[in-house]
Amino acid sequence: MQSWRRKSLWLALSASWLLVLLRVFPLLRLAVPARPRAGAPQGWPHWLDIELLQSFSQPGELPEDDPQPPPAPRGGSCDWGACFDVSKCRGGGLKVFAYPVAGPISDTQRGILASIESSRFGSVSPEEACLLLLLSLEAPAGECSPLPQQWNGGRNHLVLGLHPNFCPQTFQLGQAMVAKASPTVDTFRPGFDVALPLLPEAHPWRGGAPGQLGQHSPHPGVPLLALAEERGGWRTAGTESSACPRDGHCEQDHGPEQTHPGATLPNATFCLIPAHQPDALHFLQALQAGCIPVLLSPRWELPFSEVIDWTKAAIVADERLPFQVLAALQKMPPTRVLALRQQTQFLWDAYFSSVEKVIHTTLEIIQDRIFGAPAHPSLLWNNPPGALLALPTFSTSPSDFPFYHLQRGSRPASRFSALIWVGAPGQPPLKLIQAVAGSQHCAQILVLWSSEKPPPSRWPKTAVPLTVLAGQRKASDRFFPHRALSTDAILSLDAQSSLTTSEVDFAFVVWQSFPERMVGFLTWSHFWDEARGGWGHTAEKANEFSMVLTSAAFYHRYYHTLFTHSLPKALRTLADEAPSCVDVLMNSLVAAVTKLPPIKVPYGKQRLEASPPLAPGGPDPQPPAQDCINQMAAEFGYMPLVSSRLRLDPVLFKDPVSVLRKKYRSLEKP
Amino acid sequence: MCASVKYNIRGPALIPRMKTKHRIYYITLFSVVLLGLIATGVFQFWPHSIESSSDWNVEKRSVRDVPVVRLPAGSPLPERGDLSCRMHTCFDVYRCGFNPKNKIKVYIYSLKKYVDDSGVPVSNTISREYNDLLTAISDSDYYTDDISRACLFVPSIDVLNQNTLRIKETAQALAQLSRWDRGTNHLLFNMLPGGPPDYNTALDVPRDRALLAGGGFSTWTYRQGYDVSIPVYSPLSAEVDLPEKGPGPRRYFLLSSQMAVHPEYREDLEALQAKHAESVLVLDKCTNLSEGVPWVRRRCREHQVYEYPQVLQEATFCVVLRGARLGQAALSDVLRAGCVPVIIADSYVLPFSEVLDWKRASVVVPEEKLSDVYGILQGIPRRQIEEMQRQARWFWEAYFQSIKAIALATLQIINDRIYPYAALSYEEWNDPPTVKWSSVSNPLFLPLIPPQSQGFTAIVLTYDRVESLFRVITEVSKVPSLSKLLVVWNNQNKNPPEDSLWPKIRVPLKVVRTAENKLSNRFFPYDEIETEAVLAIDDDIIMLTSDELQFGYEVWREFPDRLVGYPGRLHLWDHEMSKWKYESEWTNEVSMVLTGAAFYHKYFNYLYTYKMPGDIKNWVDAHMNCEDIAMNFLVANVTGKAVIKVTPRKKFKCPECTAIDGLSLDQTHMVERSECINKFASVFGTMPLKVVEHRADPVLYKDDFPEKLKSFPNIGSL
Repeated sequence: MQSWRRKSLWLALSASWLLVLLRVFPLLRLAVPARPRAGAPQGWPHWLDIELLQSFSQPGELPEDDPQPPPAPRGGSCDWGACFDVSKCRGGGLKVFAYPVAGPISDTQRGILASIESSRFGSVSPEEACLLLLLSLEAPAGECSPLPQQWNGGRNHLVLGLHPNFCPQTFQLGQAMVAKASPTVDTFRPGFDVALPLLPEAHPWRGGAPGQLGQHSPHPGVPLLALAEERGGWRTAGTESSACPRDGHCEQDHGPEQTHPGATLPNATFCLIPAHQPDALHFLQALQAGCIPVLLSPRWELPFSEVIDWTKAAIVADERLPFQVLAALQKMPPTRVLALRQQTQFLWDAYFSSVEKVIHTTLEIIQDRIFGAPAHPSLLWNNPPGALLALPTFSTSPSDFPFYHLQRGSRPASRFSALIWVGAPGQPPLKLIQAVAGSQHCAQILVLWSSEKPPPSRWPKTAVPLTVLAGQRKASDRFFPHRALSTDAILSLDAQSSLTTSEVDFAFVVWQSFPERMVGFLTWSHFWDEARGGWGHTAEKANEFSMVLTSAAFYHRYYHTLFTHSLPKALRTLADEAPSCVDVLMNSLVAAVTKLPPIKVPYGKQRLEASPPLAPGGPDPQPPAQDCINQMAAEFGYMPLVSSRLRLDPVLFKDPVSVLRKKYRSLEKP
Repeated sequence: MCASVKYNIRGPALIPRMKTKHRIYYITLFSVVLLGLIATGVFQFWPHSIESSSDWNVEKRSVRDVPVVRLPAGSPLPERGDLSCRMHTCFDVYRCGFNPKNKIKVYIYSLKKYVDDSGVPVSNTISREYNDLLTAISDSDYYTDDISRACLFVPSIDVLNQNTLRIKETAQALAQLSRWDRGTNHLLFNMLPGGPPDYNTALDVPRDRALLAGGGFSTWTYRQGYDVSIPVYSPLSAEVDLPEKGPGPRRYFLLSSQMAVHPEYREDLEALQAKHAESVLVLDKCTNLSEGVPWVRRRCREHQVYEYPQVLQEATFCVVLRGARLGQAALSDVLRAGCVPVIIADSYVLPFSEVLDWKRASVVVPEEKLSDVYGILQGIPRRQIEEMQRQARWFWEAYFQSIKAIALATLQIINDRIYPYAALSYEEWNDPPTVKWSSVSNPLFLPLIPPQSQGFTAIVLTYDRVESLFRVITEVSKVPSLSKLLVVWNNQNKNPPEDSLWPKIRVPLKVVRTAENKLSNRFFPYDEIETEAVLAIDDDIIMLTSDELQFGYEVWREFPDRLVGYPGRLHLWDHEMSKWKYESEWTNEVSMVLTGAAFYHKYFNYLYTYKMPGDIKNWVDAHMNCEDIAMNFLVANVTGKAVIKVTPRKKFKCPECTAIDGLSLDQTHMVERSECINKFASVFGTMPLKVVEHRADPVLYKDDFPEKLKSFPNIGSL
C-alpha cells in the first residue's frame, strides 16, 4: 500500500511538472519579441515584383561575346582533340604498330605483341600505323627503356604498362597516351589516358577462367559481406552490420567469420574494398567471384571507366559513412542485387578474364574515339556479349544486332535470305530452291556458285528473286558478309540439302524467338576424348548435341561479319583447308558469343539416311579434320561449345489429334 | 523426416499481463502524457500560425525591401578555388547523415542586398533566372528551411553572370554567410563565367571549397566528380513557341547560326558554304534591320533574312562553335530544334556530362578539324542521325528546357554521388520515354546455365487431398534432381497428417502451414527454398512421369529466365467482343503454361509476392482463381520472353478437366479465366504474353532410335 501511495504521488508530481513545462514554454516563446523563426519564412518567397526582375544575361550580351582567338596550346596536359592526330587513321581505321621490346622479353609481352599483330588492328610498319604502341616502360631496376626513334613528342603513341611499377618518366611522356593499371585519379587524363585493371602476375593470357557465379541469385546461406584484407585475403562477415565498425575493419571475434588465403575468391554477396591502390587487385577477384564490389572512396580510376558503366556492377561509396553503406547494402532490394551480380560476371568475362581481352578492349576504346560518332553506343559496351563481340563496323544501330531486341523493344525482321552454297559437283539444287522459295518468309535466294563448272544460264522461275553470286571456292567464303545479304536472318544451305517448305517455315518461326542463336536440323556433338587427351566430335545420334550443321541452319547475318572480321586468321585458313571444319568454327563462334547451345528443330528422318546433307566428307563418325576442334579450342583458349538436350517441336508435334488441326503437317510424316 | 514449420502463430503479447493496480498507473500516466501532448500542440500551432501569417505581410515581399548588409572593406576573402577538391576530400558528408529516403537536404540562405563601405551595391540583387532557380529548389523535395539539418547550402547571392558582379566584394559576401566554413557543402550556380579579356572558363569569384555548377567548364578548370557542368540557359526557351519537329532529313545538312564567330572560323565556315552551297547554310548577324525588330530573333545570309530559332529546324546538323566562352546558349536552341549539335569547342565539358551520354545526341569535332566537318558528318549513317535528332530533343525537354530542369538535374547529380546505391541509372538519365516504355530489362539477363547439381525444390500446394498428395510426393521424389520437397498446407481447419504417416523419401520434406487459405501462398518466397529452380505442382498432378519432370528441369536449366511448364494455354483476341479470350483447346500455339506443374526461378516468387502490379495479388486471392495466369503475365512482362511448354499434351487433371462433368461448369470456368486475362491486361496496361509455336522435347523424341539408349524414354505416355 505504501509503495502504491508513493508511486501515485510521484506520478502526480511528474505530471504536474510536465504540464507546467508545456504551458510555460509556449508562453516564454510568446514573451520573447525576437522570434527565432521570423527571418526564415517557409520556402523561397514569392516576390511581388517578380515581373520586374531582369534576366541574368541582357539581350545582346550572349551573342556579342568578344570573338576570341583560339586558346594557346596548354602546357603539360593533353586531351584527345589536342594531342592525337586522327587524320593518320583515315581510311584503314585503327592500325597499330607495336615496337619490338628491347632486352629480355616476358611471355606476357610476347603474347601481347603476337596478339596485336594477328588482330584486325595489326600493322607491320610504323609508317602506315596510326597508333604506335610502346610496351613495357616498366623497369624493375628503375631504368626506363629508351624512347624509340619515331617518338615525335609522343604524338599518336600509347604507352602500355600492365603493372603498376611504372617507369617514372610518366610525366615526360608528353603527348603520348598512357594505359596503365589503376592510375590515381589525380594524374589520370579522362578521355585521353586509358585505365587498365590491375592484373595478377599469373593472369591467363588467352581464354581465361570463366566467372565463378553458378547461379543468378545469391544462395540463402551465403554471407553478406567479405572484406578485403591488407595482405591479400578475404574475410567474410555475417549479416550483422555491427560486425564492422566505422573504419571498415571487422572485429575478429564477431560472429561466424572466416579468413581465406589470398588465392581463394570471396564467397559473399558484397565485397568491401578499401580505398588504397593495392586493393585494385581485390577488385578483379571480387568481379570474377560475382561478389559485388563495394569500393570505399577509391583514389584510383576504375578500369575502362570511359566506356564501362560501373554503377551497374559495383557500388562506389563514401568511406566516411560505413554504417550508412552497410545499412544500404542490407536493405538493397533483391532486384538490384541480382542485376549487379550478373553484371560483374558479364564484365569479367567480356573484358577482364584474359590479358588478350584487356589489350583488345584498350584498342577498341581508342578505335571508338577515332570513329567519333559512329562508334559503339554505351548499350553495346554494357550489355552482353560486350563491345569486343559487337563490331561497330557492322552497324552502330543496336537493332541491327541480334542481341539487343529486348532492350530496344524491337523484333528481328520477318523475312530471311536463303544462301545456297554450290560446291564441287556443280548441280543446281532445283528441288531445294522450289522448297525454299515456297516459304512465305523467304525474301530472296542467293546461290553462291563455288564450283569449277560454270553456273547454268537458266534458273527455275521462283516467286522470290534469285541471284547467283560467284564464289571463291573457299569454304570460308560461304560466311563472307556478302552485300546482297540484306535480311537479318540467313538460311544457310548446301546444294545437297533437302528440306520441305514446312520445315523451313517452322525453323524460321523458331529462329525469330532466338535471333542470337543458330537454329538447325542436323546436329553434331563434341566430347572429351580421354584416350587421346583431346576434344573430338561426332555426327552420331545422341541424347545431346552442341553443334548444328550449317548445311541447313538459320542464323543472324551478323555472324558472317563476325566470322570474317573477328575470328583469328589462323582459324579462317583452317576452315579453307578442311571444309568440314567450318561447322565447328561457326558453332564455336556463336557459342562463344552467346554462351548458349544452338537449337535443333525436327527433320524428316527418311531423308537423313537417303542423302546425308553433310559438308564434303560425308557423315563420317570421325570427320577427317578431327584436329580442327582442338585447334579451335586452343585459339579460343577454352572450349566454347555448349550442349543442349532438347529439340523444339511444333506444339502439336505427333500428338494424338487430327492432322488437320496441325499447322506443320508435313513434319508428321513418318 | 517431416519437420513442421508454423508460420504466423501468435507472437508473445506486446504488453505482459500485469496486476490491475499497475495497469491503472500506466493508464493514468499515459493519459497525462497524452493530455500534455495535446496541450503542446495547441500552444505551439495556434498562436504560431497567427504569427506566421503576419509574416506574410505583403509589403515586405518585394526584392527592393530585402535587408541590406554592409560589407566592411577589410572583411575576409575566401581562398581561390581548390583544384584538387573531390567529394571525399572537400565535401562534408556527415552533414548529410543517414537518410532513409536517400535525399539530400538543401538550405537556401535568405535574400540580402550587399553593399560595400560606401554603400555601392555589390551586384544586382537577384536575376529572374536565379530567382526561378531558387524557387524550383524551394518547391522540390530537396528543400529544408532548417539550416542545422541541411547538407547542401545554396547562397542567394546571384553569380549566374560574372559580368554583373564585383568579384572581390561578392567573395566577401560569400565568406560572411553563417555556415560558410571555407565553402564546404556550398553550391554556386554560374552560367556565364570569366570576363574580358581572357575569359576564364570557371567563375573567377574566389570560392574556396564550394561546389560550382558552371556552364562553360573546360577540362582544365572542371573538378571531375566534384563540380557539375550545367547548360547555359537560353532565354528563348521561354520566349518562343517552337513545336516539335520529328526526325528525318531536312533542307540543310549543316547550319551555322551563331553571330559572334571568330573571323578565322567564319572563314572556314564560309569556305564550307561555298563548297556545298546547297546543303550548308552559314548565317550571320543582320546589319540592316529596321528598328523595333528584335534582332536576337533574326539571322541573315547576304540579304536573305531568317527567323531564329525557327531556322534551326530546317537543318540536320547545327554548328555550336566556341565563342569567347566555351558554353553557348545556342546549344539549348539547337537541341530544342531537334538539330544534332556539332560541338566545336576544344576541351569543353558538356552539360551534365557526368550522367548524360552526349555521344548519342551530338558530334564533337576538334577545332582544328573545322574545315573537315562536312566529311566527318557524312560518315554517320542515316538511322543514327535520326536517333541523334530524337535524343537531342529529349535532352532539351528533360534537362535544358527550363531553369527548373537545370536546377533539379544538378541536385540529382550531387544526390547520386552522396547516395550512390540509390543513384539513377544510365538508362534513367539517357533513354527517352519512348525507349523506356518499350524496352524490357530482363532481371535474369546473364546467359548462364545453372549446374545440374543444384537441383530443384518442389512446392506442392495442398488443401486436404492427402491421399493424392502422398502419391504426388512419392512420384516427384523419384526425380533424380529433386533436392527438397515443400508442402504448403493451405487448410487452417485441419492439421497435416502425423509425421509418421508421410511417405518416406530420400530428400528433406518440409510442411509449411499457412495462416490463410490463399492461392498466393504457393508463390511465397519461403526461406526453405534454397535452390534457384522451383517446381510448382498441384497435389493432383500424378500423371507426370519421372522422366518428364527430370527433362523439364533440364529444359529450365537452358531457359532459367522463363516459365517452363507442362500444360500449355493460349490467349486470343476475340474480334467480335473486342476483348481477350482464354483458350485451352488443341492449338498450334502457346502463350501460357499452367503452374499446376511448372518450373521457374525462385526470384519470380519474390516478384509475385512483393512486386505484382496493381491489385492483382489481392484480386486473385479474393477470386480464388487465376494465380497461374497472373504468374504468366508477371514473368512475360519482366523478361519479355515466351514460356516454354515441355513434352506432348496429355490428359491433365486440371481445373478445366475436373469440372468437365457438366459442360456448363466448364464454360463458366472458361469465362472466368477470360475475365482474368482482360483484368490483368488492363492492370499491366499492355498484353505482355508472347505467343510461340514451339514446345520442347528430348532430342530423340519419337526418333527411330533404340528406346533404352534414350535419356528420357518415358515421355508422353498416357
